[in-house]
Amino acid sequence: MKNFLISHRGSFLTLLLLILLPFIVGLFNGASPADVFVNGNGQSKFIQGLAIEIFILTIYALSFDVIFGITGLLSFGHSMFFAVGAYLTGIAIKSFGLSLPATLGWLVVASVVQALLFGLVLPRVKGITFALVTLGLGSVFHILVMSSEFGEYTGADVGLQGVIVPAFISPANERLRFYFMALTVMVLIYLLYQRFVNSPTGRVCVAIRENEGRAQMLGYNTFYFKLAALLLSSLTAALAGFLHTLYQPIVSPNTAGLGYTVAALLILLIGGVGTLNGAFVGAIVFRLLDYGLRRYIGESASFINGAIYVLFVLFIPYGIVGTWRLKSLQIKQGWERLLAKFNK
Amino acid sequence: MNSFLRKNIVMLVTVLVMAVFLTAAAQGMEKKDFVITLLRGLAVGSITFLVASGFSLIFGLLDVLNLAHGTLFMIGAYMGWTVVVRPDTFVDLLTPLALIVSGFALGDVYPLLASRIRLGLSMKRILPWALILVSILLFGWILPRFPIAIWDVENYAQSPVTFSFMADSGARLPVMPAAFTEVTMPSAFIGLLLASIIGAFGISLFDNSPRTVRLSWKNFISIAIALIIAVVGVAFNDAMTTFLYGLSSNWLFFVAVLVATLSGVALGGVMEATLIRPLYSRPIYQLMLTLGMSAIGIEMVRVIWGRPEFVMPKPAFFNGTGGACPATNFADWWANNCSTILLLDGRVRVYNEIFIPIVGLVVLISIWILLQRTRLGMIIRAGVQDSQMVEALGINVRRVFTMVFALGVGLASLGGVLAAPSMGLSNLMGESLLLNALIALAIGGLTSYPGAALGSVIVGMIQQFIIKYGQIGIAIPFTEIIFKPTPPLVPASTVMLMVIILLLLPNGLLGKKE
Repeated sequence: MKNFLISHRGSFLTLLLLILLPFIVGLFNGASPADVFVNGNGQSKFIQGLAIEIFILTIYALSFDVIFGITGLLSFGHSMFFAVGAYLTGIAIKSFGLSLPATLGWLVVASVVQALLFGLVLPRVKGITFALVTLGLGSVFHILVMSSEFGEYTGADVGLQGVIVPAFISPANERLRFYFMALTVMVLIYLLYQRFVNSPTGRVCVAIRENEGRAQMLGYNTFYFKLAALLLSSLTAALAGFLHTLYQPIVSPNTAGLGYTVAALLILLIGGVGTLNGAFVGAIVFRLLDYGLRRYIGESASFINGAIYVLFVLFIPYGIVGTWRLKSLQIKQGWERLLAKFNK
Repeated sequence: MNSFLRKNIVMLVTVLVMAVFLTAAAQGMEKKDFVITLLRGLAVGSITFLVASGFSLIFGLLDVLNLAHGTLFMIGAYMGWTVVVRPDTFVDLLTPLALIVSGFALGDVYPLLASRIRLGLSMKRILPWALILVSILLFGWILPRFPIAIWDVENYAQSPVTFSFMADSGARLPVMPAAFTEVTMPSAFIGLLLASIIGAFGISLFDNSPRTVRLSWKNFISIAIALIIAVVGVAFNDAMTTFLYGLSSNWLFFVAVLVATLSGVALGGVMEATLIRPLYSRPIYQLMLTLGMSAIGIEMVRVIWGRPEFVMPKPAFFNGTGGACPATNFADWWANNCSTILLLDGRVRVYNEIFIPIVGLVVLISIWILLQRTRLGMIIRAGVQDSQMVEALGINVRRVFTMVFALGVGLASLGGVLAAPSMGLSNLMGESLLLNALIALAIGGLTSYPGAALGSVIVGMIQQFIIKYGQIGIAIPFTEIIFKPTPPLVPASTVMLMVIILLLLPNGLLGKKE
């Protein structure tokens, strides 16, 4: 037990910090925890909002990590998984007046269906062709969302607006509750993914990424494992879309575009592809950077984003977490040497 | 005969389906509409082909999916616009750009230089970064002080939109005087050259692979060309500006096409040598890198040329108006240079619907000859099959890689500058065209050169016919309903076609089976 606590101390500390974050920010800003608890306006509420966005991005990036980082399938239609979740939630609540559990039920059905749709393609195309086919599927969905025929439901190119969120988790009045809900979902998804990667199924997925032919030679029908990863990914991404719709006042059609898939790629690249932890680290860096750049630089923010992207690809290809894992021993040794020099 | 059938079954079926599709399409509309739509489809197909063929050559030989290709197409268009509308800016830019490129033109000399320098381990790590930093600082200090007569995106009276509007109405453009103020000309010149050489040396130090280099005069050709251009740009600045302003719009357009293509070639060469080359061992990262490059490129275009859309004026050769227009036949057109020509009583725009497909055809044939009839083409074709084997035979594949990348980007830039007068310039023209080119390649076969042409024509035709039917509507047989395809169906239809074809034939129509 004690060993377990020590070996996972980083995770526990992070979790504790995240739980206390709204209150700490409140204290720095002169708001007592009681104020924060009743959702008083202030810095704490703003930071909670930013954190919620980061959690949603993390869930979304995790869902991409499982197919790209773990299983090694490059899909350019991944934003469709997210957008289906987001749009379906909005339409179910707004146009059909469904309750949240019923909406979630429909989400599960829809995400299984779309994972099967992507799975249909799987045995026929590999590698780059798979990326192109998924890009095609994704852009068809994007076009459908943007088209004025379904404007009544999707809001066409303006985006889906006016979704009335049930009062008990409304992000405006009950933000702290929403914060903890998003945090819980993220932690649960992370644990689920950790379990998946370490399960025999996940191991085969890693083997497929490393060398699909070899995995097949060992007698695994790789199709089923890839399909399992796609299913898991689709469900998670739909869940992220669900939270996104509840949190954001407007669902922009950009969430269905290629740009949103690239955002997931960028998050993973910053954090570290295939590391799971990397999704969270990457999401923090990505969101804060985006926020800071838009605030202080303005419209040219995507130039810097692109430059960071290129620099990461060239110089830190394993991302922050990946590089840390590779070099942690060296860093530790260097640190000890430095300390020894000072102690002399 | 039998084996011919078996080998080309896909091709024959495709041609058959196309023929059925075209005859079916011809039933629904008047003959003149059909011809015009056919020509428009060919025009869109030709532009798509220029992008797609470069993309396919690069993917076939280098295995790099260059997602920045659309952005490079766009940059070509903007370069062409600059030459046509603001020749003074172009002449002023010539020197700094040539100087920036000159350092990178010295490619093979650096490893030799690096092997002479013996350094400690920590110095070896710091040196490249320090050199790059010095180079960036030098550039950052000199470039803003280099006199360039340029437009002002913020100021509407001097924005690109206004200038292109003025150029379109034939107004003379104001030549803004430019002079060196803070730095003297020789010091700026030498400073830029030095910065470029230092930067290129720093970047080359990252590549640690041992290489044996034998220097000959050939290594210095490209830097000599760059330096000559730079010197000419400085020495004959005013003379060249007045010369370019004095040119007729036809010749100016020709110069623009040449400049855009050559700058595309240079850009492609530099991009391959500096950014793509370190990543051949990690293909997925190359893809991500090009994605990032594309975002950077679009943002740079936004900063330099601004966000609003504008049009590049057509050369006078294709822009005649007056009593004799529209021309009724080609001899008539040749005499009057009308912008439109009557074909079966329908007005066809000469530049858009006749000139562009002809250029597309010329490029198709010349690249075909290059691939089939020259030694370089032979190496490229062999490299597409197995680049390691070609390298084992003692051919410097790396150099061929750079050349093919440069050629591909040059083709995209050529497409951009040709498309600029007809499509107009916007920040997003590259992305939509890249999607078209990707679809065309996926349909035709990713690494197949004829496949790129076939796919592009199919994509262009389908889109144009759907747009046309969006205007006139399709009468569905046995019913009274008239179905009008809506604009979203235009991209959706080709994307769906791509998905279907990829599912039936994962290698595309003309792609080779692996």
